[in-house]
Amino acid sequence: MLEHFVRNIGGIGIYGMVSLLLFFAVFVGVLIRVCRLRRSDLEAAARLPLDQTADKPAQTEDES
Amino acid sequence: MNGVETFRYDNRIVRAFAWATVFWGFVGMSVGLLAACQLFWPELNLNLPFTTFGRIRPLHTNAVIFAFVGNGMFTGIYYSVQRLLKTRMYSDALSWFNFWGWNLIIVAAAVTLPLGLTTSKEYAELEWPIDIAITVVWIAFTVNLLGTILRRRERHMYVAIWFYIATAVTVALLHVVNSLELPAGWFKSYSIFAGVQDALVQWWYGHNAVAFFLTTPYLGLMYYFLPKAAERPVFSYRLSIIHFWALIFIYIWAGPHHLLYTALPDWVQSLGMVFSVMLVAPSWGGMLNGLLTLRGAWDKVRQDPVLKFLVVAVTAYGMATLEGPTLAIKSVNALSHYTDWTIAHVHTGALGWNGFLTFGMLYWLFPRLYRTRLWSTRLATYHFWIGLLGMMFYVVPMYVSGVTAGLMWKQFNADGFLQYGNFLETTMRLLPMYRLRAIGGTLYLVGVVLMIINLYKTARSGQFEPETEAQAPALRPAPAPAVARRWTHRWLEGVPVTFTVLATVAVLIGGLVEIVPMLLISSNVPHIASVQPYTPLELLGRDIYIREGCVGCHSQMVRPFRSETERYGEYSKSGEFVFDHPFLWGSKRTGPDLHRVGGKYPDAWHYNHMNDPRSTSPGSIMPRYPWLLTQKLDTSSLPARIRTLRRLGVPYPPGAEDTAAEEAMAQARQIVENLKAGSVEAEPDREIIALIAYLQRLGRDIRQPAGVPATAARLPAPAPAQP
Repeated sequence: MLEHFVRNIGGIGIYGMVSLLLFFAVFVGVLIRVCRLRRSDLEAAARLPLDQTADKPAQTEDES
Repeated sequence: MNGVETFRYDNRIVRAFAWATVFWGFVGMSVGLLAACQLFWPELNLNLPFTTFGRIRPLHTNAVIFAFVGNGMFTGIYYSVQRLLKTRMYSDALSWFNFWGWNLIIVAAAVTLPLGLTTSKEYAELEWPIDIAITVVWIAFTVNLLGTILRRRERHMYVAIWFYIATAVTVALLHVVNSLELPAGWFKSYSIFAGVQDALVQWWYGHNAVAFFLTTPYLGLMYYFLPKAAERPVFSYRLSIIHFWALIFIYIWAGPHHLLYTALPDWVQSLGMVFSVMLVAPSWGGMLNGLLTLRGAWDKVRQDPVLKFLVVAVTAYGMATLEGPTLAIKSVNALSHYTDWTIAHVHTGALGWNGFLTFGMLYWLFPRLYRTRLWSTRLATYHFWIGLLGMMFYVVPMYVSGVTAGLMWKQFNADGFLQYGNFLETTMRLLPMYRLRAIGGTLYLVGVVLMIINLYKTARSGQFEPETEAQAPALRPAPAPAVARRWTHRWLEGVPVTFTVLATVAVLIGGLVEIVPMLLISSNVPHIASVQPYTPLELLGRDIYIREGCVGCHSQMVRPFRSETERYGEYSKSGEFVFDHPFLWGSKRTGPDLHRVGGKYPDAWHYNHMNDPRSTSPGSIMPRYPWLLTQKLDTSSLPARIRTLRRLGVPYPPGAEDTAAEEAMAQARQIVENLKAGSVEAEPDREIIALIAYLQRLGRDIRQPAGVPATAARLPAPAPAQP
């Protein structure tokens, strides 16, 4: 029975199409979400590694 | 608003990982140089089991990937996570467990691999007790990372953290699935998968080990250390978000590109190829994001060795991620697979991307950890140029070598025969390239020595700061009562948890779509009646083949090309590997394919060839294996091995384990007789006899219907094993 099912899954090529559509949906979703983010938030986030308030000792050496 | 909290970053753990990175980098690269030299100077194998290429090569790959890059990754993660999240690591105990556990595992690898204790699966060679240790240590790291994230004082998780989370989750998943094996002793196990299935799982793992061990954590480091060194924010944060999601979602699908033109179903190969090509987009998005971060700061690159290293690292990432998808195109892969082109490709990644990014990070980190200036900027600049030159001398000859070999293997003459019928002809043609490669490796290693001196002097000239004090407000106003509720709240709305779940889902989808059909394939692999389990002696021989790392240089997968069927014989069918725990298809042909070697040469030829390959094949670069002629064959492990394999589905009849040793000796005596006919005197209870038995068995199941007439009748010729 199981074997019959497995063999008749013949159109397994659909996996390829499903995966492509899935990827496309995720990609578009991320794109939309990213476009809707506020510029000020993005800039604040991008500055996180440079935020020296919590990393003062490193800053004092950054003069080199 | 609640008050500002004061806390301390743990620098000790960062220092420990940093020195471990330096140490293992030197060791791993030195071993690599030794392996490179062995390929044109076989005497360097020293005729000792422990120093032979087959055992040295996995030691090199493991040392560089897991010891050098692994410790490098932890160095950067432990430094940046604390600062990006404005908190100390969740648990010092877990941090140190991570450090000692990981490095003890590496020591265990450095001991067991030369001893020949290996599963033979690439980048997953370590045997089962070590696999369990890796899982435990990795879980400790993941808990520590997630715990730190949950305790953070910075609401937004910077993009680097996302890459770290994806790394932690995915590596755990890959490692556990690919290491599913059944022990047949303390240091021997058999993969629960066989043949095609094993190959698929292995390369799903192998490819994503590159993705999630060598790439995603280092992208996290790039997103942290590049802005730090350039003193400006990343070019586009939007792009980094797209980079992350697209990358982790696509990467996981691309594994089958390691198995193009093998016995894998065509649609899986095509899927792997398409997703590999798609990978160019996010990879280049990330590379451009890195390079454009330097907009307006390129003048700094001229003076700052740190930026020099980082820029070349990011460029190498771009090169490697354009080349990878190119190699994943079937027509290109037909030429490049099994050749040094792959070696060139991975070393663009390893030397350029991982190596240079690590060096840049260390040069940036040491002056800060030791509160001083870099001892010598000039020496670091020398290191940069020597390293770059070394990389070129490594990579370019390997391209030439790869393309040369690929073309020579496929060349027919005007009469329709192979132009270079003798495999050795192509090998000899590559030797000058191997020598040049060793020069490249030496240069690169010299650069590393300069770095070690520089970092040591820097450390000596400064004063180590064990902890850095920092201040930040707590993340949210904490109402005094209901601590549990606060945590529940955090858990529900906390981004990290949702985030981890989403990242895991993204990774799982790709993995499942690949793995589910794999399980289906197990039912779909055509059953070939004449394919029988190995005899006890052949099984022991196969285990010796695994122990000696023969798979490092010899494939067992004849692809369906005329150039290969002419050279080796009938192309390989998926049904031929159903009892192969693990599969031994290999990924590199430094020597010829062996899938159809059975019956090609007399037993005595193999005996002499293993003792001294140059006695039968003048000019061969294969190591000698004299110990196989003298070491006694251990048949005492046979019952356990047969029982284990039977549990995995290999149809050994009941009681086979009791008669196994006897059967093995009977077959061995037959081989000794054959050897006598070839004027070779040998004892039946030596390892070489088992190895000969295995080699003579290879690929014969579908070729020799004689002796099994009942099943042979069902085998039309040529055997249409492909669905």
